[in-house]
Amino acid sequence: MTTLISAEWIRLTSSRIWLWGGVAALASGAFIGLLALAGPENFDPPLPPLDTAEGTRVLLGLLGFLACLPALFGTAAVASEYRHGTVTTTSLFAPRRWTWLTAKLLAYTGAGLVYGFLAAAVAAAALFAAAAIDGVTLGLPVGVVLSLLARVALTMAVYTLLGVAIGALLRNQVAAMAVVGGYLYAVETALTMIPGVKALYPLLPGGATAALTGFTYLADAVAGQTGEPAVPLLSAPAGGAVLVGYALVAVAIAVLAPLRRDIT
Amino acid sequence: MIEVRGLTKTFGPVAAVTDLTFDVGPGTVTGFLGPNGAGKTTTMRMMLGLVAPGSGSVTIDGRPYRELRDPTSVVGAVLDSSGFHPAHTARDHLRLYARMGRYGSDRVARVAEVTGVSAFAHRRTRGLSTGMRQRLNLATALLGDPRVLLLDEPSNGLDPEGIAWLRRFLRDLAAQGRTILVSSHVLGEIEQTADQVVVIREGRLVTAGPLSELYGSASVLVRSPQADRLRTMLAAPTEILSSEVLRVHDLSAAEIASVAAAHGIPLQELTSERPTLEQAFLHLTGGTTP
Repeated sequence: MTTLISAEWIRLTSSRIWLWGGVAALASGAFIGLLALAGPENFDPPLPPLDTAEGTRVLLGLLGFLACLPALFGTAAVASEYRHGTVTTTSLFAPRRWTWLTAKLLAYTGAGLVYGFLAAAVAAAALFAAAAIDGVTLGLPVGVVLSLLARVALTMAVYTLLGVAIGALLRNQVAAMAVVGGYLYAVETALTMIPGVKALYPLLPGGATAALTGFTYLADAVAGQTGEPAVPLLSAPAGGAVLVGYALVAVAIAVLAPLRRDIT
Repeated sequence: MIEVRGLTKTFGPVAAVTDLTFDVGPGTVTGFLGPNGAGKTTTMRMMLGLVAPGSGSVTIDGRPYRELRDPTSVVGAVLDSSGFHPAHTARDHLRLYARMGRYGSDRVARVAEVTGVSAFAHRRTRGLSTGMRQRLNLATALLGDPRVLLLDEPSNGLDPEGIAWLRRFLRDLAAQGRTILVSSHVLGEIEQTADQVVVIREGRLVTAGPLSELYGSASVLVRSPQADRLRTMLAAPTEILSSEVLRVHDLSAAEIASVAAAHGIPLQELTSERPTLEQAFLHLTGGTTP
């Protein structure tokens, strides 16, 4: 398995996807810094300022909202095996398909973790720098900020795993990316507006992520728009558990489903 | 030794391969022939565990491909649709699969050298010609120095020089005692490289055996002013083409010349006739080219 994981690492680092991933991670972190510098109170609609706990949480939560990006990278990386036809050669070198699929899942989860911590480190540096420039103190203690950022980084790793699993299942690169991006950015948010269905939101990937990262802005905003009370989210550990549960189910399906498929 | 036993595969209502049974012996080049859509590629993919057979089995050295220990050190395969990541260089591609197979960088250098890939190893695969891709496919198949090679249309996209190179290359590999199964639509290529042939049509076996047997019996065209007298002397099936020309079956030209000489019959022409592989193939498969 170690050999297969290192082969996946060669596959990843031999194309430019790692470069674009790195750029996206840096840009995600820097984006949070820019928002902090602009001041959440100056947004339209205005948000609580940076020196309040709520304001700091919103910015950290926005970084979590960008967890879909590494998921898209994971999806693209795996689905490209099918798109470019390398799945045939890969399956010849590792005929027990679950082995290379598992190696991919592990390698890309590692890559997602690196992505998450890179984005979180840049965001942390940018947040503290922006607060210093504005002459304010962040509304949350340093320990809490770092803990929330670590949760965001872990969320990104889990999302990458989800993305890889969906890429392995759907195989069509464009369709897989459309499904992942479309669901995480559009469908799930839309679900929060439907009475009845929105009660499920805390159990959906986005809701679980919001619970883990403490980011309730979207749910609150929707509640404000619809005039209905926001659905209470799960606790952070429960949200994390739900997210990991999704990842494990996706992994199980991704590993088991292709075993009987013909590679033609 | 590759043993194919009762292999059957259907795709929906279409029977791609039906009860296919043949062997590919060690140390031989076996040509795998059949018209387009005959089931050659499906059969090869079933041999490699890429396509699950509906029934039947394929074993290589007694085991299914998936159960081979270090399968790419036993079998190397070049399949028609093997792909490359366009952003990878040819060397990246070989390094990646060498790592998967646990082969060292010396093997990457070696296969790149013998297949000519080293000349374009630094180039990204998106810019490679079809011939370069085929060489890279072959290099990938050789990473594990396998004793069995399965090649599906390996000459596709090669120019005449590339085809000649491939022919020499396959001959060298066979001379090293490797077992090679090669499907091709270029019959001349098979004629010059294969010792054995397996011919399938509509997913069923037509014939399998030595290439020489595929041609059927040879005949000899004989021209003599005493053709009719000669015919009575020859104890062999004979066709009368004209008053002076016969086609004689089951006897060699030397045997006919001996009989004629023994009876003082003058001969004006003695030509051995042998069907081309294409004629033999068309006869066996019902008239379409492979």
